[in-house]
Amino acid sequence: MSYVHPEYLVETAWVAEHSNDANIRIIESDEDPLLYAIGHVPGAVQVDWFSTLQHPLRRDFLTKEKFEEVNSSLGIGNDTTVVFYGDKSNWFACYALWLFQYYGHKNVKIMNGGRLKWEKENRPLVKEVVSYPQASYKAKEADKSIRAFRDEVLKQSNAKKPLVDVRSPKEYSGELISMPAYPQEGATRGGHIPGAASIPWAQAVNEADSTFKTADELRALYEGKNIKADSEVIAYCRIGERSSLTWFVLKYLLGYPNVKNYDGSWTEWGNLVDAPIEKS
Amino acid sequence: MPLPPKLQEIVDDFASMAREEKLETLIAYAESFPTLPDWLKEKRDSMEAVPECMTPVFLFGEKQPNGGIHFYLDIPPQSPTVRGLASLLANGLDGCTPEEILTVPGDFYLPMNLQEAVSQQRINGFTGVLAHMKHEAVRLMQNK
Repeated sequence: MSYVHPEYLVETAWVAEHSNDANIRIIESDEDPLLYAIGHVPGAVQVDWFSTLQHPLRRDFLTKEKFEEVNSSLGIGNDTTVVFYGDKSNWFACYALWLFQYYGHKNVKIMNGGRLKWEKENRPLVKEVVSYPQASYKAKEADKSIRAFRDEVLKQSNAKKPLVDVRSPKEYSGELISMPAYPQEGATRGGHIPGAASIPWAQAVNEADSTFKTADELRALYEGKNIKADSEVIAYCRIGERSSLTWFVLKYLLGYPNVKNYDGSWTEWGNLVDAPIEKS
Repeated sequence: MPLPPKLQEIVDDFASMAREEKLETLIAYAESFPTLPDWLKEKRDSMEAVPECMTPVFLFGEKQPNGGIHFYLDIPPQSPTVRGLASLLANGLDGCTPEEILTVPGDFYLPMNLQEAVSQQRINGFTGVLAHMKHEAVRLMQNK
């Protein structure tokens, strides 16, 4: 079996060949915001999940108008194909792709393997920041069908419908409230949403080069935990970045039609008064 | 208790910088990151393996003849922000005595107004690195 929507994935060699095409824009989106400045794929522009993609005041994403502004300034038009890549096995590349989808940009792809694979293949990284002619981007209304909010997550949990907790095993069990060795902050309670299956995000990628596992491996992984294509699935992590990767895998590589990312994730749920929690 | 003078100077500099300048300065710190001397590489290799998603930070304090501490750092180039922050701190505390290092408050960086440039989680890295440095200071006070 191959991926259900292979058109959402490109390889590093494809990017090397097409990065200068006029209708293609390569975007680097990293956990570490300084990586782009140190060296990036020639011609790539940067979006930072924090300073670019978040709302400056409340806990939410940038507004539709601001999203239009960002895209226009990066020379991205409504017909531009946008290819994302980044560090940490493409966590924040998937997060940015998910957000582009949220505002209706359909023509998006992930560079398989991200920065790690590009570096391992000794492909060029440059410091030169290219600017592109201003475009005039029009975003669509936010697509709530790919984003889950807390009330819906509670209903999902009460109805015993599939929830995927993609955090590390110790975060799932409640022993830790952040990733191992990251600062322990952000939630006042540890554990997981009742009924959630523990499928750490990293199981979907090959450790050696950050590429996605094969369709057969992925199917076995999720179906083995009873996360199946015919159900509505909600994925979450701590702030919604690692679960964006899982969302991408389920939605495009395995072709599940109804998958949502709960970006409130544990930093919301673990602070929410009266929210049910399971510990194990 | 005032901060060690060099660290105070860095904090003041950052406080007056615009966002872009802060980022450029952090990049400069990250790029001027010294390589670990050979005599420390062995210690480095004997360190525990690091779990999946964290930035491995190796830090070693060495007592100088005048009693001040010099910190050696090893952080992968894939984490320039952590490199930049750690290197800034190592510069600010270079030559300080263990006692001086132990007096640095965990929130010393607040006036630097870094949150406009880097996410809170990265800034928290400061606290982690400073805590590591304090452990080293305690170790050196006990002459271990």
